[in-house]
Amino acid sequence: MDIIDIKGLKKNYALGSTTVHALRGVDLTIAKGDFMSIIGPSGSGKTTLLNVIGCIDNATEGSVKVSGREITKLNDREITSMRLHHIGFIFQTFNLIPVLDTLENVEFPLLLMRKLSKQDIRKRAEKLIEEVGLREYIKHRPAELSGGQRQRVAIARALVTNPDIVLADEPTANLDSVTGEQILNLMKEMNRIENTTFIFSTHDANVLKYARSVVKIRDGLIVKEA
Amino acid sequence: MNFLFTISIRNLFRQRRRSILLGSAIAIGTAVLVLANAFAHGISEVLFNEIVSYVSGHVSVSFTKGGNANNQVFHDGARIREIINKRVPNVKRVDEAIGVFARAIGNAKADNVILVGMDPSGDGVDEKEAEKLAKNFKELEGHFADLADTTVENPVCLAQEKAKTLNVKLHDVVRVRFTDIRGQTQAARLTIVCIMKPSNVFMAAPVYLHIKTVKRLLGYSSNDVPQLYLSIENPRKDAKRFADSLHAGLNPPLAVIDGQLSVHGSGVEVTLLSLRTDSASLALVDSAMKFSARTAADSVNPKKAVIISESLSKITGLQPDDTCTISYEGKFGDEPGGARLIVTAIAAAGSGIDGQVVLVNERDFYKTFYDVWPKSTVAVNGPFRPDTEIGIYKAFGGEWLLAPRSRTTRDVMKLYREIAQKGWKAIVVDVGSMYETASMVLNLEYALNMITAACVMVLFFIILIGVVNTLRMTIRERTREIGTIRAIGMQCVDVRNSFLIETGLLALISALSGTALAFVTMFGLSQLTFKTDANPLGMLLVDGHIFFAPTVLAVCFFIMLIVGIAVVTAYFPARHAAKLSAAEALRHFE
Ligand SMILES: Nc1ncnc2c1ncn2[C@@H]1O[C@H](COP(=O)(O)OP(=O)(O)O)[C@@H](O)[C@H]1O
Ligand SMILES: [Mg+2]
Repeated sequence: MDIIDIKGLKKNYALGSTTVHALRGVDLTIAKGDFMSIIGPSGSGKTTLLNVIGCIDNATEGSVKVSGREITKLNDREITSMRLHHIGFIFQTFNLIPVLDTLENVEFPLLLMRKLSKQDIRKRAEKLIEEVGLREYIKHRPAELSGGQRQRVAIARALVTNPDIVLADEPTANLDSVTGEQILNLMKEMNRIENTTFIFSTHDANVLKYARSVVKIRDGLIVKEA
Repeated sequence: MNFLFTISIRNLFRQRRRSILLGSAIAIGTAVLVLANAFAHGISEVLFNEIVSYVSGHVSVSFTKGGNANNQVFHDGARIREIINKRVPNVKRVDEAIGVFARAIGNAKADNVILVGMDPSGDGVDEKEAEKLAKNFKELEGHFADLADTTVENPVCLAQEKAKTLNVKLHDVVRVRFTDIRGQTQAARLTIVCIMKPSNVFMAAPVYLHIKTVKRLLGYSSNDVPQLYLSIENPRKDAKRFADSLHAGLNPPLAVIDGQLSVHGSGVEVTLLSLRTDSASLALVDSAMKFSARTAADSVNPKKAVIISESLSKITGLQPDDTCTISYEGKFGDEPGGARLIVTAIAAAGSGIDGQVVLVNERDFYKTFYDVWPKSTVAVNGPFRPDTEIGIYKAFGGEWLLAPRSRTTRDVMKLYREIAQKGWKAIVVDVGSMYETASMVLNLEYALNMITAACVMVLFFIILIGVVNTLRMTIRERTREIGTIRAIGMQCVDVRNSFLIETGLLALISALSGTALAFVTMFGLSQLTFKTDANPLGMLLVDGHIFFAPTVLAVCFFIMLIVGIAVVTAYFPARHAAKLSAAEALRHFE
């Protein structure tokens, strides 16, 4: 079953008096449980595509279905709730909340959900921190962690809500190659354990070996699917 | 919700410098506000509870007899008290008040003093009042209560400073000279039974005697009352209202004297009415009355002049220039009242006063009337009662004259000038509330409240500018963070609320610290002792100390106000931050 179904997606940005065509008609389906890489040079539209899929940016034209729901028609409240419940994010710059420690950062999305009890939230967060190998760093603030450790926290945070999809926009771009590989291995491992769909973008062909499927993008258009 | 608080508090600590800066501004503003308010309230407490209630009462009834401001007497005290009880519910206390200027001679030293009467153990002086009295008049030597000692000749209590200027000690005698209510100069010996230290310089000037002693010295009889000062439960709310109501109740009835007119040994029942002699009344007499002999002006103005009706002239045979005597029953005591009068005119039939009536010029009428208060009243039938419809009715005098309600101290002063100039013969009754009698003093409270209001305005702008700027910087710095939490799934309103909580918490903590600072400052300032004798503002001090009266209500209100202003000010920047597009915010780099 396809977890993502995109048809004729266009995205324009107004830049002063000109219009930037960041996506120029993308058709794409992604199967549940996939571990997909979107590769393309800088400025090709990777971030834009992930943002649209991740419901943090809206499409100019076309249809985008995430988990069977047409997201282009939702209002802000619904789309925010959609992000919270169905999507996890991993950012290139880690984007942890600096005033919260590891445990609190991971608990944060669950607290927003207001569904589980305090104990359940704690249990779930600790389990994920354990899985990303940061048990010793549970009380550390982001500033006290290395880049790789921060990205592990981000992975735990992205997965803690049990989302349908995790979107990672160049997750290794700010890491050295060894740490980057560890992170991709971890993501792959999580993909296996939790059976969560992962989509990550990269401009580095070296990381393609981790991907189960690859989409090549150039100038806002998909040039090759494999 | 809980974790929003956690994040907010931690964010406040994160930008410590900025928080401390804005927080200090708010705290200092709050401290000034609380301080100014407590000071203003403290002063008004002193004004209302100490000075005003001693100096003028919350509501006062004053009497001026014969246009003489020193002649403060009303001869039917029970009647006035009855009206007060009916018109002023829950009156706490009604104090008789007399203040008379006198020349005092101590041991080879003399000074001007004011003889003030008081009753330290009178009706309505409860435990709390007594306590307050003890606080306001600190006994140094002797006892205040000895003012009531009847074994001592005219016991008196005076302030330490006064004793010094008169060079007298406890048990010494002070000789005083003063004018009594009949206008006669009197001398008396006062025995010092108490030397005290008043809490307020204002209260150091007079010498205090028991009200009964002063009344006796000044020649008040047992039915006479001096000025009455009313203390009420809630003066600020009720003083004006009660004064108005009391004023309405003090509308005087028409003055009548029902008595016996004797001519050549035979008697006729007649009613005496007072005929006013101001020009308006005289004009009324001229136009409304037909005279069979002489005219109004020369009928009214001569001494002891009376106008009688034609019918009375017929019954008695009285003609102009005839003399007659009147005698009548008094309300108090056995002594009858009476007067010898000379007929100056006879009013023709059709004047509206056909009957057994004698119109007496007001000067002679009131002299008789107040000398022996008559038993008769207009409410009870008598030989003659005028029809209220007749043209001349307005020229008849009442039992007293009710002064119109003054609205300011200036009005009051004008009224008393007028009383002195016009030489009204009837006793002028004036009802005042502290708002007029002490309006000068109250203006001070108003000014202080304006200062407080100005503090609020300044504080408002501090908060406005401070909060808006701080939030702007904060939001700019945290743009990517906002993008992150929005991407993770925090709702727009929650983002906005987290900023509001952050600002509100800062304002609350600052306001609380500011309040604490204010209290510390107040404590410090109230420890200072000021020398009061030289300073006219000393009257606003209590025992030489600045008096602060913060109220829980006001402090809570200010704290809420400040937090409120801060949160409202933060609303728009916070909403702006929350409405940022997540994608845009995440792309933001600084
Ligand atoms: N907010 C924006 N305003 C204007 N142009 C934008 C904006 N965001 C992206 N673009 C443009 O859209 C194109 C695609 O950008 P992006 O998706 O960020 O590419 P990538 O992530 O592959 O580097 C680029 O040319 C970029 O300059
Ligand atoms: Mg990009």
